Amino acid sequence: MKRIIFQTAIFLLITGASFFLILCQADGRSDAFYLKFTTPKQTNLIIGTSRAAQGLQPPIFDAVLKKEQPFFNYAFTLAQSPFGPVYLNSIQKKLDTTKRNGTFIITVDPWTICSETETPNDSTSFREANLALANTSNVNVKPNLGYLYHNFGGKYHQILFPVNSKMYLHEDGWLELNLRTDTATIHKRTLRKMKDYRFNVLPKYKFSSLRLQYLIKTIQYLSNYGTVFLVRIPVSEEMMRIENELMLDFNFKIKEAILLSKDYLDLTKENSSFTYTDGNHLYKKSGAIVSEKIANWIKAK
Amino acid sequence: MLFNSIDFALFLPLIFAAYWGIAQKGLRLQNFLIVIASYFFYGWWDWRFLSLIFFSTIVDYSIGIKLGEESVPRKRKMYLWLSLFVNLGFLGFFKYYNFFLDNFVAAFSFFGQNIEASNLEVILPVGISFYTFQTLSYTIDVYKRNLEPSKDFVSFAAFVSFFPQLVAGPIERATKLLPQFYTPRTFDKSLAVDGLRQILWGFFKKVVIADSCAQTANLIFNNSGDYSGSTLVLGAILFTFQIYGDFSGYSDIAIGTARLFGFKLMRNFAFPYFSRDIAEFWRRWHISLSTWFRDYLYIPLGGSRGGTGMKVRNTFIIFLVSGFWHGANWTYIIWGLLNAIYFLPLLLTNNNRNHIEIVAKGAFLPSFREVLGMLTTFVLTVFAWIFFRADSVGHAFSYMEGIFSSSLFSLPQIHPITTLIVLFFFLIIEWIGREGDHALEKIGLKWNRPTRLFFYYILALVVLLFSGQRQEFIYFQF
Repeated sequence: MKRIIFQTAIFLLITGASFFLILCQADGRSDAFYLKFTTPKQTNLIIGTSRAAQGLQPPIFDAVLKKEQPFFNYAFTLAQSPFGPVYLNSIQKKLDTTKRNGTFIITVDPWTICSETETPNDSTSFREANLALANTSNVNVKPNLGYLYHNFGGKYHQILFPVNSKMYLHEDGWLELNLRTDTATIHKRTLRKMKDYRFNVLPKYKFSSLRLQYLIKTIQYLSNYGTVFLVRIPVSEEMMRIENELMLDFNFKIKEAILLSKDYLDLTKENSSFTYTDGNHLYKKSGAIVSEKIANWIKAK
Repeated sequence: MLFNSIDFALFLPLIFAAYWGIAQKGLRLQNFLIVIASYFFYGWWDWRFLSLIFFSTIVDYSIGIKLGEESVPRKRKMYLWLSLFVNLGFLGFFKYYNFFLDNFVAAFSFFGQNIEASNLEVILPVGISFYTFQTLSYTIDVYKRNLEPSKDFVSFAAFVSFFPQLVAGPIERATKLLPQFYTPRTFDKSLAVDGLRQILWGFFKKVVIADSCAQTANLIFNNSGDYSGSTLVLGAILFTFQIYGDFSGYSDIAIGTARLFGFKLMRNFAFPYFSRDIAEFWRRWHISLSTWFRDYLYIPLGGSRGGTGMKVRNTFIIFLVSGFWHGANWTYIIWGLLNAIYFLPLLLTNNNRNHIEIVAKGAFLPSFREVLGMLTTFVLTVFAWIFFRADSVGHAFSYMEGIFSSSLFSLPQIHPITTLIVLFFFLIIEWIGREGDHALEKIGLKWNRPTRLFFYYILALVVLLFSGQRQEFIYFQF
C-alpha cells in the first residue's frame, strides 16, 4: 500500500507542478482583472468602475505628471467596485502606505453611489460582497492562486488559449478593448447597452447613503497618503439622460466628497466630444484624450 | 461536499489514511469511521438534513429487526408499510409536496373552483431519492426474506450513509452492499489502482465533458427563442452529453472511491450512447435505478408474465414512475412517457433483448446496421432529453417548434469548437474502452509503463485545465 500511495503522490505532484507552471503563465489576455491583483502595492491609483478601467490610461498620466512612481489603474466594474466596504478594503490592501505623495484619481458617477438591492444601505446584501474583490484576500502576489481559484473568469485552459482576443489587461491595470469601430456596430452595441440600462438597470438602482459615505471614507483614507482628485468621465448623451433620471442632483449629492478632495472635474459637459464603444465606455482613442485632459488638469492644480 | 472541489481533495486522502491506518484495530472501528466521514461529507452541504438520514437509519434498522423476529404475515406486512410510509413520506414531502399542491389547485381552477393554497419553502435534501431507495431495498429484501436483518447498527448506518454513493448513487442493493460491511476488507492494490483510473475518468467526464457542454447547452436552452433550429439541435445534443458526463462521471468517481476503501459498487452506466435500440439504452443507462424499478416494481406488478395488456401497463408504470422519480415536474413525466413509447414496439415484438452484448464486441468498427441503430437510438434520446432539460412542458414544445423550422438547415449560430474537439476525443476513448467496466479499465494496459502514465498525466492535466467555474452535479437535485 505504501508503494501505491507513494506513486500516486508523485503522480499528483508532477501533475500539480505542471498545472502550477501553466497558472504562472496567466496574463492580460487570460482574465479581465487578474493582473490587477499580481502587482506590488501602488502609490498612485485610478479608482472607479469599468468606465475608468477601460478609459483611463496610466502611461498618459505618467508621461504628463512625471511622478516618481507610475500610475496604476485599480478600477473594475460597476458590479465589482462601486463605493462600499469591499472596495475600500481592497484599496487599502493595494495602497503602498509607506509613501505620502500619491496622486489618486477617483472617478464618480451616480451608479457608483447607488445600490440595486431592496435595502440600498444593507452592505451585507451588496452584490460585490460575493465577487472578486471580496474573495481575494491578497492583492499583491504573483501568481495569485487565491484569485485564480476563487475568481478566474473561465476555464484554466484559457490561460494557454485565450478566447477573448479583443481584450487585453495591461500590467498597469488598464483594460484595453479592441472592438470593431464601424458606425453600424457601435450603433448596435450602444442601442443594446442603453436598452439594458434603461429597462433593466435603471429601475433597480436606488441611491445609497451608505455608498456615499464610503466614497467620502475612501477620499479621507487616500488623503492620508497623497492628493485626491474627483473626476466624472464623459458618457454618451443617451447615457447621460438615463443618469439624470437616476440622479439629477448628483453633483449636489457628492458636495461633501468634492469638498474633501483637492478638486472635481466634471467632463460630462463635453460628452459629445468623444466616441464610445457602447455609449457607456470611452473608445480607447477618446480614452487617451480624456486621460490627457485629466492629467493636464491635475498638473495645473 | 462536491467531488470536484478542494474540500473533497483534502477529505479523501485524510479519510483514506485513517481508514487503512486503523484496519488492524477492527472492522467495527473502520465502519464507524465510514459513518463519521459520511455524515461529515453530507453535513458539509447542510448539517440539518443529517437528522433525516439518521432517522431513516433508525427506522429501517428497527423495522428490519422486527421483520426478522415476526412471523405473523399481517404484522410483517404492517412493518413493511410503516417503512414505506416513513421513507416515501419524507421523499413525498420534500420533493413532491409543492408539485401536488400546485396541480391540485390547477385542477380545481379548471373546474371553476378557485382555492387558496400556499406553497412551502421546502429545501430538497441532496440525494434523498437515492438513499431512500437504497434503504427501501433493505426493508423489502428483509421482508421477502432475501436478506437477514442487520443486527449491527454501525454497519447498517455505514450502509445507509456510505459517502461515495450517498448523494447520487449508484443505488445499491442491500443484498450486495450490506454484507461487504460485515466482512474484513484488505487493501487490494489492483482494485485501488483501477479505482484511481475510474476516478480519473469520472473527473474527465464531469469537468471536461459535462461542464463544457453545460456552458453552451445552458446558453441555448435559457435563450431558446433567440436561436435557429440548427443551434437548438446543437443545444440538445450538448445537453445529451452533459447529462451523461455529469451523471456517469459522478458514478465513476463514486465507484472508484469505494474501491479505494475495498468496496465493490454496482456498475451504473455501460456506454449507453452506443446502444442499438432503446431497450439496450435502458439496460445501459442508470442501471442501478432501472434494475431497482425492475426488481421492486415491475416484477411485483406481474412483469411480463401476464398478457400483452399487463406488459404494456407495467412498462408505462415503470417509465412514468422513473420520470417522476427524477423530479416533481411534468417535463420528467413526459420524458418517462416518451421513453415508454419508444420502448413499447420492441417489447410487443419481443425484440427488447436483441442486444445484450456491447456493440461490435471484439471488432474495432461497427457494421453499417449497428451504426444505423446507434444513430437512431441517439436521435430518439436527444429528442427525449429536451423534455428533461426544459423548464416546463411549454418550453419543451416551443424548443421543438424552433427546431422544426426553416432555420434547421442553416449553420448553428454558436460554434463551441473546444467543446466539440474534446467531445470527439471523448467518444474515441469511450469507443475503444467500451468492453471494459469503464473506458479506462483496459486502455493502455498493454502499453509500456511510461506511455501509460503519460496518458494518465495528460488526462489529469486536461481535467485541471478544464476546471475553473465549478458546477454542481445535475443529479444532486434528484
